[in-house]
Amino acid sequence: MAGTVRSSAADRRRPTLWDGGVALLILAAALVLLWLLRPVPADRLTAEVRMDGALLGAYDLSELGGRTETVELDAPYPMTLELRSNGVRVAHSDCPSQDCVHTGWIGRAGEQIVCLPNKCIISLTGGADASANDFDVVAG
Amino acid sequence: MWNRHLSLLLPVVLLTGLLLSACSAPTSASAGEEPAARQVFAMNTIMSLQLYGPDKEAALEAAVDEIGRLDALFDRNDPDSDIARLNAHAGDGSPVALAPETVEVLSAALDAGTDTDGAFDVTVAPVIDAWGFGTGDAAQYRLPSRSELDGLLPLVDASALHVDASAGTAWLDRAGMEVDLGGIAKGYTAARLDALLDGYDVTDALLDLGSSTIALRGTNAAGDRWRVAVKDPKDPDRSLLVLSLSDETLSTSGAYEQCFTEDGVTYHHILDPRTGWPGQTGICSVTVVGGDSARTDALSTALFLMGPDEALDLWRRDGSFDCVLCLEDGRILLTEGLEDRCAFADDTDKEDGHGWNCEIVRR
Repeated sequence: MAGTVRSSAADRRRPTLWDGGVALLILAAALVLLWLLRPVPADRLTAEVRMDGALLGAYDLSELGGRTETVELDAPYPMTLELRSNGVRVAHSDCPSQDCVHTGWIGRAGEQIVCLPNKCIISLTGGADASANDFDVVAG
Repeated sequence: MWNRHLSLLLPVVLLTGLLLSACSAPTSASAGEEPAARQVFAMNTIMSLQLYGPDKEAALEAAVDEIGRLDALFDRNDPDSDIARLNAHAGDGSPVALAPETVEVLSAALDAGTDTDGAFDVTVAPVIDAWGFGTGDAAQYRLPSRSELDGLLPLVDASALHVDASAGTAWLDRAGMEVDLGGIAKGYTAARLDALLDGYDVTDALLDLGSSTIALRGTNAAGDRWRVAVKDPKDPDRSLLVLSLSDETLSTSGAYEQCFTEDGVTYHHILDPRTGWPGQTGICSVTVVGGDSARTDALSTALFLMGPDEALDLWRRDGSFDCVLCLEDGRILLTEGLEDRCAFADDTDKEDGHGWNCEIVRR
């Protein structure tokens, strides 16, 4: 009985160049797929301005090159932002506390400038990965 | 011939699929999960909430609502708030009906005052206003005269604040007295939010209630304890150390916040209710870690004003909190409960290379 069962392996010949070619083709396709599916870092440093939760604007800082751009914000206490390719600051604010002005330049994704009297948050996204920080939150 | 090629192709495709799935699989259940996150302006600060778990979106909405509700009760600058009404009736002898939460936070404040021999006093508002620290508006900061403060100190007296928990009322004995919850409201809010989250399937949360009070639940997205950096009081732009925390609250008080300089002298906002003056105890920042959020918040102010010896005496007696005291002489006193959960920012362990020396305080 066992003698009548033919193993498929018995028919198999040695792999040819064709076999190798197909294997290489599949592997190459897999590598291309892996490359396409890789997590793409959001590498364009962008400043987002929110007033009381509402998005006022998002500025792609990486487009600025060597220029410095000024943005006037129509806030309860008017503010002036300065944008450069490597960061943003509040150059002027009519707010009473001036904490936003004193924060100075921020340049890394995850950093924020907060103006409490204006309920305004200027935050950076994209750009150099700030997750290199070895903490989740700063107290103080 | 193509059949043979196809028979070869199948295992290759399977292997490739396996490789791809291995590359994209998360390392743990929560890893890679996006939190439900929101920033809200409340209690004169900005609060950042991050929640993880199946109910995170609904819980976030409820948490934001709760913050708004408590802020409306506690804000003494809002004439309709519980605290403004309590203050407005100071000295007229009439008990003021309050929300249960206001009664609860006032009771917690009185307890904190008793435990700290008056270093924490929720009736310190008249002195805060004399210095202009009440509004967060730097333009209002001013140096009051000694005689002005001496005139106000009789109004700072927690024993003249009465809370009737069963009736849901409170009153202040003397006209001109005022309650300010700035030293405890955020901690109490953290406790309320934690209780609220218990009603939802929220596995992990970071509740940053204005950076001076941070409540942690569960673990961070990597499955580790939350890592909270504490600022260097000598250089607040850098962090001094990182504490690994879970299911507890951290509160910090530092002399570097809300301060002004006049005639070469720097005055900060942590005012001693017994003298009316900024605390000068040799401490430049206090960080308290504990399970009772309201008490943790109040203690961060009180320990600063008690000075290192009294603060550590309380730590030894109490047993419910740990703390980090940064002293002006460059010493960091770290209580032993935090020893294994503290990493210095530049990994030099006991001495951080920026003029600080760490001593572990044991019971």
